[in-house]
Amino acid sequence: MLNNKKRVFWEALLLTLLIFLIGMLIGVLSENSRMRSVEEYYIQSEISLIDILTLSNLANLDDANCDNLINSNINFANRIYDEAKLLEKYEQAGKINENIKIEHKKYDVMRTLLWINTMRFSEVCKNNKVHIIVYLYESNTKDLTKKATNTVWSKIINDLKERQGNEIILIPIAVDSDLISLNSVLENFNISSYPALIIDDKYVLEELSSVEEIEEFF
Amino acid sequence: MDFITIVFLVYSVLAFYFLFLYILIYFQNRKKVFYTPPITKKYSLSIVVPCYNEEKTIEKVIKNLLKAKYDNLKKIILVDDCSTDNSYKIMKKYAKKYPNKIIAVQTPKNTGKASGAKNYGAKFVNTELIGFTDADSYPQRDAINYMIGFFDDKKIGAVTANVLVQNRDKFILKLQSLEYKVIKFTRKLLEFIDSIYVTPGPLAIYRKSAFDNVKGFDEKNLAEDIEITWHLQYEGYKIKMAVPSRVYSVAPSTIKDWVKQRNRWNIGGLQCVNKYKKVFGKKGTLGNFIVPLFISQWIIGLFGLFILGYKIIRTIILKYLSVSYSVQTQTTILNMKDINFTVSVLVFFGLVVFLLSSFYTIFILLNVKEKQYKKENFFTLIFYMIFYLLAYPIILLISFIKYLKGDIKW
Repeated sequence: MLNNKKRVFWEALLLTLLIFLIGMLIGVLSENSRMRSVEEYYIQSEISLIDILTLSNLANLDDANCDNLINSNINFANRIYDEAKLLEKYEQAGKINENIKIEHKKYDVMRTLLWINTMRFSEVCKNNKVHIIVYLYESNTKDLTKKATNTVWSKIINDLKERQGNEIILIPIAVDSDLISLNSVLENFNISSYPALIIDDKYVLEELSSVEEIEEFF
Repeated sequence: MDFITIVFLVYSVLAFYFLFLYILIYFQNRKKVFYTPPITKKYSLSIVVPCYNEEKTIEKVIKNLLKAKYDNLKKIILVDDCSTDNSYKIMKKYAKKYPNKIIAVQTPKNTGKASGAKNYGAKFVNTELIGFTDADSYPQRDAINYMIGFFDDKKIGAVTANVLVQNRDKFILKLQSLEYKVIKFTRKLLEFIDSIYVTPGPLAIYRKSAFDNVKGFDEKNLAEDIEITWHLQYEGYKIKMAVPSRVYSVAPSTIKDWVKQRNRWNIGGLQCVNKYKKVFGKKGTLGNFIVPLFISQWIIGLFGLFILGYKIIRTIILKYLSVSYSVQTQTTILNMKDINFTVSVLVFFGLVVFLLSSFYTIFILLNVKEKQYKKENFFTLIFYMIFYLLAYPIILLISFIKYLKGDIKW
C-alpha cells in the first residue's frame, strides 16, 4: 500500500518530464524552423548585396548605372528592412535557441556594408536625390527610457518611410553588435548617446524628433 | 535562456507535476472517492460547538444537530466564549428544552479564539468520539453517519467532512463556493497519499483518545484545525475525509472579511511550518510531503509575486514612457504592426497549464452535485481561474509581513 502511494509521485514526475520534454522539443523545432527561414532570407539578401557591390565597383559609373545602383540600393534596403522586422519578432518569441542573435549580427554587418556603399555612390552619383537615413540603436539595452525611445524612433522612421516611399533609404543598425567596421564608421560622427538618427551622413539627431522635423533636413 | 524564462519553465514544471499527481491519484482511486465505510459500530459521540457572537446562526446550527440521523449522538456541548450578544441566551434556551442532549457552558473569560472555546468544551466530553462544528456551519442530517465507519480502523485519528458554502448571493461568495469545491475534492485525493493537512472547523470528528493524546488544539495557533491535523499525523494517526458528508458554512461576504480569514489561515499555516520544521524530510508524509508542500507554496507564491510584480511594473513604465514620447513627437501610439503574434514556447506551456487546470476544475464541479444550487456559470469560472487565484500570492505577502511583525491575532 505504501509502495503504491510512493509510486504515484514517481509516475507524476515521469509524466511531467515527458510533457516538459515534448514541449521543449516543440519549442526547439519551432525556433529552428524560424531560424531556417531567416537564414534563407539572409542568403537571398547576401546575393543581392554582392550584386550591388559589384555594380558599385564598376570603374565608370555613368548616369544610367547610377540610376540602377540607386534603385537597387533602395529595393535592397526596403527588403532587409522588412526582413529585420520579421527577425525582431522571431527574436522576441525565441526563448530557447540563442542562435537567432547571430542572424541579427549578420544583418547588422550587411546593413553596415550597405551604409558604406551608399556613402560611396552619394559621392560618385552627383544627381542622387535619395536621402539616406541611418537609425542607430542599442538592441540589448535594459534601460527602460532607451527601450521606450527605441520603440518611438521605430514608429517615427516607419511613418517617415511610408510618407517618403522610395525617396529615402532607411538603414537601422544595432550599435551593440560589436562590429569593427561599424565602430570605425561611427568614429566620424560625434555621437554621445543612442538611439540616434544620421541624415544624409551630415546631420545627427540624438533627441526624439517628429517626422516633420526630420523632413526639414531634406 | 534568460532568468525569467527559466523561472517560468520551473513554475510550469511544478504546475504540471501537481496537476498530474492529482489526476493520477484520482484515476487510481476513482472508485473510492465517494465511498464511505458502512457503520458497523455506533461509537458514542459528542459535538462541541464554540460560539462567539453568533446569535444570527447558532439557533439553526443547534436545530440541525438535533435533527442529525446518527442516533448515538450523546451530547451537544454549546460553548459560549463570553459573547456580548444573545448567543448564550439562545444556548441556554435549548439546553433547558433538551436537558439530556444539550449542555450550554460559558468560558470563564473570553479566550479570544475558537481553539480556546473548543478545548474548554472538550472537558465536558467523555464519549469515544468528539466532534466539532462552528456556530455558523450547518451539517446535513446524514453528515455524521457518513463519517463514523472510518473509525473502525484504529489508526484513524480524525475524519473531516465536505465543507461547502451556505450563502451564495454575492459574487465573492460564488467564487468561494467554487473554490471550496476544488479544495475539498483535492483534499480527498490527498487522503489517498495520507496527506490531508487540515480538518476544517465546520465539521470534524476526532477519536477522543487521539484528541487527548495530542492535548487538544494548540491555542497559540491561529489555524488550530491545521495544527491538530499535523499533530495527529506526527503521532502516527491517519486522517480521512467523507466526501458525501456535507456541511454548509457561512463564508465571508465582504473582501475585508475574506482577506482577514485568509490571513488567519496563512499565518496559522506559517505557525505550523515553524512548529513542525523539525520533521522536514523525515517522519512519513508529514515531513516528506505536507511540510515541504507548505514551504514550497510560500516560496513559489512570494517569489512568483515579486517576479510578476517586477514584470508588470516594468511594462507599465515602458508603456507610459512610449505613450508620452509618442505624444511629444505626434506619432501613432499603437499600430497593429506593433503587436507580435509570433508565439514562444512559453505561451505553449502557459496554455497547456491553463487548459489542464481548467479541465481539472470543471471535472470537479461536474462531480460535486448539489440539487439545491444552480451550477457555477462560465463567467464565475473564468474570473476564478484568472483573477481570484491571482489574489492568493498577494494575501500570502500580507500574511508573511504580519507574521514577521508578530501581528498574530484572530
